Amino acid sequence: MAMAVGKKGGAMSEMNVTPLIDVLLVLIIIFMVITPLTPNGLDALVPQPNPNAKPNEEVISRTIVVSIPADAAMTKRVKINQDEVDIRQLGSRLEDIFKTRNDRVIFVKGDSSLPFAEVAMVIDIAKGAGIDKIGLITQKLEESSQ
Amino acid sequence: MAHKPKAPPTVADINVTPLVDVMLVLLIIFMVITPMLQKGVSVDMAKAQNPRLMPDAEKEDATLLVVTRDGKVYLGNGQIALDEITTKVKDRISARLDKTVYVRSDARAKYGDVVKVVDNVRAAGVDSLGLLTERLQRRTALQ
Repeated sequence: MAMAVGKKGGAMSEMNVTPLIDVLLVLIIIFMVITPLTPNGLDALVPQPNPNAKPNEEVISRTIVVSIPADAAMTKRVKINQDEVDIRQLGSRLEDIFKTRNDRVIFVKGDSSLPFAEVAMVIDIAKGAGIDKIGLITQKLEESSQ
Repeated sequence: MAHKPKAPPTVADINVTPLVDVMLVLLIIFMVITPMLQKGVSVDMAKAQNPRLMPDAEKEDATLLVVTRDGKVYLGNGQIALDEITTKVKDRISARLDKTVYVRSDARAKYGDVVKVVDNVRAAGVDSLGLLTERLQRRTALQ
């Protein structure tokens, strides 16, 4: 073997790759953590208009509609049917209402000038209160079902 | 060869070259895959505390509508006009059992724009929506 390696006091000819490996490992770990982000989401229903069947009185009286006015971002108040509720109490109010019921359905009606985040927050609170069916009411739906 | 050849002195270091090679390849693979995993246009989603995991939204054949902050609507990666949504969505879900349509909306998009999309999706016969959100890790005070 002609290579004269490890001669006493000889200059080290190899690069020090340890910092390189460190950086690479960290980068790989970062990319591996970013990759498996399963999407999260809130379920919502879009009820189809049914112009033939008129809802009876009982159904109407039991329906809960949470409406979000245009100024909800400032006043922090939403409406459950006709009652104004502070948005922080919305969850507990909904829990109260649905304590004795087994049809956990509400409808959410938001003003069209609201940012989507406000509506998403109300839906989120409702989900947190254990409501599993949330229907989105839109202007068009109301018009076509009348 | 009159005398025995001298053995080379033992190298005490591990040979890290293959390790570096493999790691570089892995790094490149992850770097290439990561942007490809994001389906559709990326928006700043609303944050929620009680979302459900929606692994189906990532699937290749999922119907994903994106609403951006300025009210533009994308179906997958291509922009789409509001009045085209109904027919396109109908086409996509006609042969499907799971008729859920996923909506990824920017948190600051106008709800009116989202409602327009929802109206058009409803007209396509869809009755369940998945509103994609980001999960908030800890329970912060509701603003």
